[in-house]
Amino acid sequence: MSTTQKITKMFKILSSLRKNRKVVFGITAYVLALFISVFVLLNYPPSSKKIGYAEPLLPPSPEHILGTDILGREMIVLQAEAVINSTIIGLTAASIGVLVGSLLGFVGGYYGGRIDYVSRVFTDVFLSVPSLLFLILISSLISSLGKQLNIVEVGLLISLFSWTWPARQVRAQALSLKERDFIYLSEISGERKLEIIIREMMPHMIPWMTASFVNAFMTAILTEAGLSILGLGPQTDMTLGMLLWWPLNNAAMYRGLWWWWIFPLAAFIYMFFSLYIVQIGITEIINPRSKVV
Amino acid sequence: MSATTRYLIERFTIYLLTVYISFTIVFILPRLVPGDPLSIYYARLRDLGSVQGVEEMIEEYRKMLGLDKDLFTQYVSYIRSLLRGDLGYSIGNFPAKVSDMIADALPWSIGLLSVTTILSWLIGTLLGAISGWRGGRLSRIFSIGALFLSNLPYYVLAIILVFVFAYTLRWFPSTGGYSVGMTPRLSLDFILNVIWHSVLPALSIILSSLAWWYLSMRSMVATVKGEDFVVFAEAKGLPQKDIMWNYGVRNAILPQVTGLALEMSRIFAGALVTEVIFGYPGLGTLIVTGIRTLDYFLIQGTILLSIFAVATATFLVELIYPLLDPRIRYGGG
Repeated sequence: MSTTQKITKMFKILSSLRKNRKVVFGITAYVLALFISVFVLLNYPPSSKKIGYAEPLLPPSPEHILGTDILGREMIVLQAEAVINSTIIGLTAASIGVLVGSLLGFVGGYYGGRIDYVSRVFTDVFLSVPSLLFLILISSLISSLGKQLNIVEVGLLISLFSWTWPARQVRAQALSLKERDFIYLSEISGERKLEIIIREMMPHMIPWMTASFVNAFMTAILTEAGLSILGLGPQTDMTLGMLLWWPLNNAAMYRGLWWWWIFPLAAFIYMFFSLYIVQIGITEIINPRSKVV
Repeated sequence: MSATTRYLIERFTIYLLTVYISFTIVFILPRLVPGDPLSIYYARLRDLGSVQGVEEMIEEYRKMLGLDKDLFTQYVSYIRSLLRGDLGYSIGNFPAKVSDMIADALPWSIGLLSVTTILSWLIGTLLGAISGWRGGRLSRIFSIGALFLSNLPYYVLAIILVFVFAYTLRWFPSTGGYSVGMTPRLSLDFILNVIWHSVLPALSIILSSLAWWYLSMRSMVATVKGEDFVVFAEAKGLPQKDIMWNYGVRNAILPQVTGLALEMSRIFAGALVTEVIFGYPGLGTLIVTGIRTLDYFLIQGTILLSIFAVATATFLVELIYPLLDPRIRYGGG
């Protein structure tokens, strides 16, 4: 395939992503939340997320739009911080997951033989062990040693399990791709294997890798929330999960402190659905038969 | 050897391997931590002011784990005590045994999970089959609803259900496995009380996993409906109902069972977090107790048992497979 063809192919994929209304809608919704969060963080003093900034547990009012939490921190600032931090966790875990997973899947699927066998067994074992259980164990081990994880470290921790699905997806695609004519052609014309993987196969894999990325991104955010609700979240930082842990752990609902839990829950559902809609859209592109609605 | 036997042996081997590898990882993890974990742990407990009995417990652990011996001896004694069902002592509740604490919590989790999983799978599959076969507007509306519920984490649904049914309407209790002041015994009173307490946790698991099974069955049945043999059956003049059950559902049910086996760990993990939201006295709440009291051995024991439970449940589901799939029974394909 010539370079121009390849570029055309890339553009085609990009434009099919752009034309899919669900993908556009979901990404717009997510980015909008990011923009609002950055805007909020820029407009509030850094001290507003410190303990004792305002009076604790104030209901929403013109001075405190979303109220304050039990430590007197500005809720709107905490929410903004949570959106950004959870995004960082998602990006870290998904980037590593897709990178490592794709590499493993590509190499295994393309080279075949013993390399494929080893990488496949390795992937299958990791896929079959319940990842959240191991993450609980690792996090509690770390926290019992008195160490606090920061946001990026939480992302790294989750990435321990986020490469499995991309690896399997990419391997399946690489297997079918390597039988295509243009790959044969480039083999005959003497391209090196690594070159073929990067130059010839990669462009065709972009939709699958994008789908894996979105999936890993969403899973990472949900995993973080699950760990946080169990009490294993990053205690000093705000994430979408920690945002829920604080009110849950302090029985906010029964104390009538509605703003303390409704806004975090709403933010969580909003972020979750914007990603989910992107995921549904991408699945439709790579597999048109999956269309439900 | 018949195909079924070969299939069963293969599945059983994978089951044992998964459990064995997982247990080995659990053994390796704390040993990757630099330094002597027990001393760090002890210092940390002392900082928190809980020194009562800790020293003797640490000694007990040193002996039990054989920390002065080489890694291989440690590993052998670890596997040995696991085979005996010995999970060590709880730190927060010393000298309570971890295995005893788990034994108290286990029936709750198994009860909640087995009922909700079976119910949601059956109802979801049935509704999905009907909806996929008939199609139409109602089916589409259902699917949109299911699409939103199916991937929503159980705990999000749980919080919403608590707010609506426990806090606002006050129909159901919001926390615990049974009313405070009641003693667990086998009476109608107590059983009804337990069921009443488990309605909301069960509902949050059922609703979202039902939606999941509904969607996958629906799309599967819809695909089968387009196959030639269905058209042929229709041409033969078989009643629609027979075609749906014997041709549609019969073929679509296989991936549903595979799906159940694959989803087991996701269902389990979701249920753990849901238990916490409801303060339901199962394994999830036990893990949180462990986390709050820095009780690593309680956490480790619960995780070990959970891994075992998930693997066993998956294996049990896989046992159903040969009954449904003639390719395994008669050994073709």
